[in-house]
Amino acid sequence: MAAIEALYLRKHFRAKVKGEGFSASLRSLVRPEYRETVAVRDISLTVSEGEIVAFIGPNGAGKSTTIKMMTGILHPTAGSIRVLGYDPVSQRQALSYHIGTVFGQKSQLWFHLPPLDSFRLLASIYEVDRLVYRQRLDDLVERFQIGGLLRTPVRKLSLGERVRCEIAASLLHWPRILFLDEPTIGLDVVVKHRIRELIGELSREDGVTVFLTSHDAGDIEQVCRRAIVIDHGRLVLDLPVKKLKYDYLNRKLVSVRFFEPQSLPAFPGVTAIKETGIAARLSVDTRAQPIGAVISALTGGGNVADITVADPPMEDIIADIFASRKEERS
Amino acid sequence: MFREVSRCLRLIGRYFLLNLSSAIEYRASFLLQTFGMAINNATFIFFWWIAFDKVGGPIGGYGFADIMFIWALASSSFGLAMVVFGNAPALARIIYSGELDTYLLQPRPVLVSVIAARTSVSAWGDFAYGIVLLALTQPQSWSLWLLFALCVITGALLTTAIQITAGALTFFMGNASMLQQMALEFTINFSIYPESIFHGAVRLIIHTLLPAAFIVHVPLTLVRSFEPRMLLILLVVTTLYCAFSFWFFGRGLRRYESGNLIQTRI
Repeated sequence: MAAIEALYLRKHFRAKVKGEGFSASLRSLVRPEYRETVAVRDISLTVSEGEIVAFIGPNGAGKSTTIKMMTGILHPTAGSIRVLGYDPVSQRQALSYHIGTVFGQKSQLWFHLPPLDSFRLLASIYEVDRLVYRQRLDDLVERFQIGGLLRTPVRKLSLGERVRCEIAASLLHWPRILFLDEPTIGLDVVVKHRIRELIGELSREDGVTVFLTSHDAGDIEQVCRRAIVIDHGRLVLDLPVKKLKYDYLNRKLVSVRFFEPQSLPAFPGVTAIKETGIAARLSVDTRAQPIGAVISALTGGGNVADITVADPPMEDIIADIFASRKEERS
Repeated sequence: MFREVSRCLRLIGRYFLLNLSSAIEYRASFLLQTFGMAINNATFIFFWWIAFDKVGGPIGGYGFADIMFIWALASSSFGLAMVVFGNAPALARIIYSGELDTYLLQPRPVLVSVIAARTSVSAWGDFAYGIVLLALTQPQSWSLWLLFALCVITGALLTTAIQITAGALTFFMGNASMLQQMALEFTINFSIYPESIFHGAVRLIIHTLLPAAFIVHVPLTLVRSFEPRMLLILLVVTTLYCAFSFWFFGRGLRRYESGNLIQTRI
């Protein structure tokens, strides 16, 4: 059975529009004007059970709206959707026993209380038997290494600790699908890595289907096997992450600062985005030039004060996707 | 149906305990807010005492004991409503800012979950104040306390239902926070003065749209001269008004638009 099946899914929002200034405010009071925005346009997709899918797109592309329709938060304007065979609109409560959600921006833990109290409440909301809950909690505590955090009020936890507790909380009731909306937002590199490992483990060991949105190319590269790209509410690409990596995630950004001004060595596949003599920002095509070779060449002379390697922002990757699709079409 | 109601009551109980734990996490603040609110309410006794002293007889057909009864009932009803359903007055803001998401993701009725998810600490002071006032100003009897307890519950349900109805207007007209705040203030104001001072349209409103008359004035009639028919009317009105507010919220929920505000649960 497909975990998620969406057919011509569409969502419109009606928003009030107002011109500039006070007179426009008065006009709007007497005769309000509305504009219809299409957040999601006829999206059709199928996700099989156990898949880890990255759902990516720039800000305002319709990612969160789509997830909210899949989880029953929003009602679609048109189209149909089935999640684990349930209709999220009419069977919201029945569906919610089988899905877990982590919204990076929204917490389900009580801010002033230790996570353990929130866990106990959630177990009762999801009607998890007390004994079963204890076993599940022990398992999640070990997996997420949150034993030392259970009795500390959430407000005193670091962001990384809180996210680990949030994900553990969303798994207390054995969900079959986990919706993760920007789970690594604001986390440092080490914690991001740990969260990615945990998501991978969940899929491998428990067969949980993972539907993930992220602005971090690393999340997609390291966790997901399939990527669905949307923009302006439209599905524009649906391909294996391996192919996405080869075609689009093949660029790294290298920022380097030197002790003394120096000229940059010329490399095939390396483009200088900015160069001031004392510092430079380079774009490296890893298909043409391994990143290790570039770093070795730069650091070889002992003149490097600082160097960082980063993935390009998701917006740039999406822009690349669009540029290459335009080229293909023309 | 019975199973669903009992699940809802269990959920309210769990939220209540969790909220209480959260409130007493700050012990000094909890005690200060509770006693502070009780003392704030107590100042009004002197106001009414002076007013009755000046007038030298009943005001609007109500004696001093009657006024104290409606104060006690209004205070405890409001207190109970805000202790158990402390999120109800924030409903418009919660809908407007897209904070219903968390509750929509859980296998429980959204409305019950959202209104029970928070408590008002100072409302403990309101609740306790009403009980103390009843004990100090009324001729004591078992029937008085029994009726008072029942009417505190119906009053709390009506207060909450008024807040739900006003808050749910947000689904239809955008941010109704101000309107909800006004509904709360009107409900309180209509509940702490003699019923006979309200005439015409206002009188109609307090028996229909904002049924403050059923929060305190009908219970006062019941306490002064008990009539089973009146009790039945009170229970039917409470049930119908609560059912209406649930239905109205449910209708509005279909229009919910969510949001992306960063939020925590406090």
